[in-house]
Amino acid sequence: MNECKAETHGDLILVRVKGEVDLSWSQAIRKTILEALSKASAVGVELSEVSYIDSSGIAALVEGFQTARGKGQKFALVASSASVKAVLQLARLDRVFPMVDNADAVKG
Amino acid sequence: MSARLLLQLRLPARPESLKPMRDAVCAAMTRAGAAPALRERLKLAIDEAAANIIRHAYGNCGEGEFVIAMRVVRGSLRFTLRDHAPAVDPARVQPRDLSECRPGGLGINFIDQTMDSWRLRPLRRGGNMLVMRKRIRARPEEENA
Repeated sequence: MNECKAETHGDLILVRVKGEVDLSWSQAIRKTILEALSKASAVGVELSEVSYIDSSGIAALVEGFQTARGKGQKFALVASSASVKAVLQLARLDRVFPMVDNADAVKG
Repeated sequence: MSARLLLQLRLPARPESLKPMRDAVCAAMTRAGAAPALRERLKLAIDEAAANIIRHAYGNCGEGEFVIAMRVVRGSLRFTLRDHAPAVDPARVQPRDLSECRPGGLGINFIDQTMDSWRLRPLRRGGNMLVMRKRIRARPEEENA
């Protein structure tokens, strides 16, 4: 089942995404990430339970990353699943995004 | 040339069609003997092709439909996606430079990186046809080498 929710942990917001990310709901993820970036200085996107992601989902992550970079905020992908890593690699973005194993590491 | 039809689906050109299409295509690829890693790559490429029809050819208007067909032809999978949207100029549908980090425009790259060949063409009677091919079995001469 698809799910995207934001959890606040002090000055960090963790956006937890679950399920298969495609064009049918990637805009909801984009909106959640951008809202989180408007409220917190650090945002992590937890992707361990994402079994599929397409280019529209990757675009939502890229937009979040670029927004954060433009404002000097921390942004990282947390515990990305093998499916997510494979698509990031295909898009040659695996070395662009900060990737961390757990939420505590988002703030560096 | 013998072509065995594995799957044919007519779907509404809406994002909600993508998940059932992926599931049906994956099941058909499993029956065809495609390896798991290859199935994942092909699933992504086909999803991107259908998403492009929904978003760009039909302009995400929520109307229209498309037909996906999957055949085995001499050890290759041949995927055909047919729509009735306004004609798309194939010259404008090209992979982009992946060294640019920007949102969007990755779908054609995923198709181009995964398929052995692909061709998009507008049809005289209206609509567009995308044909994509991927070999899943070695050629007989390669097997005997």
